[in-house]
Amino acid sequence: MLKMTHLSKVYRTEVVETYALRDFNINVSEGEFVAVTGPSGSGKTTFLTIAGLLETFTGGQYHLDGVEVSNLNDNERSRIRNEKIGFIFQAFNLIPDLNVFDNVEVPLRYRGMKAPERKERIMNALERVGLASRSKHYPAELSGGQQQRVAIARALAGSPRLLLADEPTGNLDTQMARGVMELLEEIHREGATIVMVTHDPELAARAQRNVHIIDGQVVDLAEDPRFHQAVHAARANSPA
Amino acid sequence: MQIKPILSALRRHKAGTFLIAMQIALTLAIVCNALFIIQQRLAHLAEPSGLDEPNIFVIQNEWVGASTPEQLDAKMREDLGVLRALPGVQDVTLSNSYPLRGGGWDDGVKLTADQVQDTTGATIYFADERFIDTLGLKLIAGRNFRAEEITPMNVRDRLGPPVVMVTKALADKLFPAGDAVGKTIYLVGGPTTIVGVVDLLQAQSVDRWAQSFAYRSVIVPKRLAISLGVFYIVRTQPGQLDAAMRAAPKALFAHNPRRVINDEDGVLSFKEVRAKAYERDRGMAILMGLICVTLLAITAAGIVGLTSFWVGQRRKQIGVRRALGATRQDILEYFLTENLLISCGGALFGVLLAVAINLWLVTRFELHRLSLVYLLMGVVILLLLGQGAVLAPAMRASRVSPVEATRSV
Repeated sequence: MLKMTHLSKVYRTEVVETYALRDFNINVSEGEFVAVTGPSGSGKTTFLTIAGLLETFTGGQYHLDGVEVSNLNDNERSRIRNEKIGFIFQAFNLIPDLNVFDNVEVPLRYRGMKAPERKERIMNALERVGLASRSKHYPAELSGGQQQRVAIARALAGSPRLLLADEPTGNLDTQMARGVMELLEEIHREGATIVMVTHDPELAARAQRNVHIIDGQVVDLAEDPRFHQAVHAARANSPA
Repeated sequence: MQIKPILSALRRHKAGTFLIAMQIALTLAIVCNALFIIQQRLAHLAEPSGLDEPNIFVIQNEWVGASTPEQLDAKMREDLGVLRALPGVQDVTLSNSYPLRGGGWDDGVKLTADQVQDTTGATIYFADERFIDTLGLKLIAGRNFRAEEITPMNVRDRLGPPVVMVTKALADKLFPAGDAVGKTIYLVGGPTTIVGVVDLLQAQSVDRWAQSFAYRSVIVPKRLAISLGVFYIVRTQPGQLDAAMRAAPKALFAHNPRRVINDEDGVLSFKEVRAKAYERDRGMAILMGLICVTLLAITAAGIVGLTSFWVGQRRKQIGVRRALGATRQDILEYFLTENLLISCGGALFGVLLAVAINLWLVTRFELHRLSLVYLLMGVVILLLLGQGAVLAPAMRASRVSPVEATRSV
């Protein structure tokens, strides 16, 4: 589903080159739930933005659903983002001027979908996250957890091949975070491929697989003993 | 199209939307009326005088010292001879006024002796037998005056010529059947017979007071024998105007120095006469044009400012839209559509306001009713202006990277 080979991302200024990702390799199969972890500044978010075609990379190869994306133009990248990728952001990123229904509708409109199909998909997605009754509410009228659920509904409405989640519970309290995480697990059980960036060992422990990044490179989790131990502890405490 | 979500978003920004829509409405209302006034003024400027304008100049002569009417008449006839002898001069006549001069003699014309109300007003031009040829007028019916019909007239004499010529506009007003020649009309001094009809001869003024009889003129066979208020009208051969204008005052002073010809406006080409006559119209058209340009610029600046502010404010939101699949074109269209919706709302109110302002002008200043064409023109101008003004900030918005969605504020 997602395969990066010897991928690099370099930020250049007149005086310095900074490698955000260096010789980065990852392979995520269809139906997997992968947690990408690492300390702050390790390159997790850079990985996610490149994986989500929000940003270009400097070198290497990236195949998404079998398509080499490095040569795609801006419109083609937009189309793939719209049709194949669902985003869940830490800050929810709902559009404050639009109500819940209209927020979920945004990516569907860009797909050129007809109104009846849009409506059906939106209501299904909202029912799935338990917010069908709030479709006329504005984001400011919802709790953080509810807003993230709307964002998940927005990501799901387009039936994406890949869900990318960037610290999806980072702005939520424990209870709300648990609810959102359970929702993601449920979505995964139904067959979705999920790549979740997090620095929370408890969340990472709930994924099928952990990919740990340090200094822009994938490393063995054992190279970060404290995080390694925290993940193991979380897995041991997990009710599952 | 994303009209519904854009409208939803605009409802959340009522103040900015309302203010810019009102600015568009007000601009539209003023621009429509200003364009209409400009058009009317320009149409006024283009009204024909009926004269061979490129080859005509006029001289205002003032005699110095006491003279009897007979002496004045004799001196003026001598002057006509002097002017006719100048090289390049085709013909010369004298009159109490000429078209576009700004003042002269106008009078009521009646069809019967016992009529209380005048049938119409008309300009009275004093003329000799060379008047028609000198001005370049076209005789379309009847005949010109004969030399023996021309008589001198003192300012205190009653205006009662036995024969007159009239313009076609006056003839049509008085005798719609087209048989004016030979008919009797009544001037202030009594009855007179129409012997000729000329095609086109504009009134002595283009101001509002003369509008009702703009092309209705009576030409009377008189030489006004007064010391001030008689004009020599000179027609030159093509290309000889400037030379003749320079030579004419010199020749007149050489013949008789007891006169005053004002250096500033004593000798005027008809081009200068026209420019002077329409100075106010031209000034008004320019002023209205400047008002339009200023208002449009302010409105465009307002749209650029508001949209730039909104683009800055929604940078993250634009990034999110891009992340969710919007192309640059989608973002561009979003802002163009948003502006179009605001502009349409403003234009709708602006059209009503334009009509209201026009109705007020109609009742207050006797202006014409605003034509639908100007409303449509104003709407199109404002919509295009809005789309043009929003283009730069909208293009800036379309260049916002989708990665903006992942950045914390």
